[in-house]
Amino acid sequence: MAERPEDLNLPNAVITRIIKEALPDGVNVSKEARRAISQAASVFVLYATSCANNFAMKAKRKTLNATDVMSAMEEMEFERFLQPLRESLEAYKKGQKGKKEASEQKRKDAKEKKNDVEENDKSREEEEEEEERMDEDQEAENEVEEEEVEN
Amino acid sequence: MASTVAVPVAPTVSDPERCEGEEELRGLEAEEESNQHTGPVAAPSQNRLAKLPLSRIKALMKADPDVSLASQESVFIIAKATELFVEMIAKDALVYAHQGKRKTLQRKDLDNAIETVDEFAFLEGKFPSKHPSSLNLYHI
Repeated sequence: MAERPEDLNLPNAVITRIIKEALPDGVNVSKEARRAISQAASVFVLYATSCANNFAMKAKRKTLNATDVMSAMEEMEFERFLQPLRESLEAYKKGQKGKKEASEQKRKDAKEKKNDVEENDKSREEEEEEEERMDEDQEAENEVEEEEVEN
Repeated sequence: MASTVAVPVAPTVSDPERCEGEEELRGLEAEEESNQHTGPVAAPSQNRLAKLPLSRIKALMKADPDVSLASQESVFIIAKATELFVEMIAKDALVYAHQGKRKTLQRKDLDNAIETVDEFAFLEGKFPSKHPSSLNLYHI
């Protein structure tokens, strides 16, 4: 393999920040310790992923989901993470929903604007919208071509 | 009223890694809910919740040959769990630094924590020391 998973490190600045926020003021962290923590974090991701994937495979799913990760945490004896993770997931889902609604609203606004501008040629406009939507869908489709739709 | 609405056009995040992460994320996701509009809009609400870049987390996940697809949520949860893990291991290592009457966390404090804390057993033998040849991938 050209690239070992261990070579994929998480950004030092972020790791450092997380460490500093976890520890009391006045505590320093050596470069070596920081590097070791960063590597440990990478290994953690790999291990958690592998564990979660087992649950997905057991359920005959090809897509890893949040529940699989939760199960993995339990399996890995990190039950203490479960509650904060659930809370974070809720907040995340709300954020996603807000984003989706916002982009849908934007689409609607753009469409209405178009209606105003091209009042005369309605059929042509409809075609364009169709095209636009198709383009977007095509774009989205291209980007998700690796996907597998569940169900 | 949701105040975490995405800002149009210009990305608001200052961390370039996250910007790149956002696009990559969209590129590879299995979005279970619906098609998300994949324009150049940044996602500040999402980024505020995860400190670690989801793109990097995702890249690590995909290093596993058995993993085909991962939902956006799962990537996020793993990112969050990793954050909690870093906090935990730092705090546990600090105990050993204090025992050594030090205020600076050192590599050996990490090693001690890994040896004693059950949850960190999966880390044993995984770290390269100064000599890469001593990296033991097949230990566990």
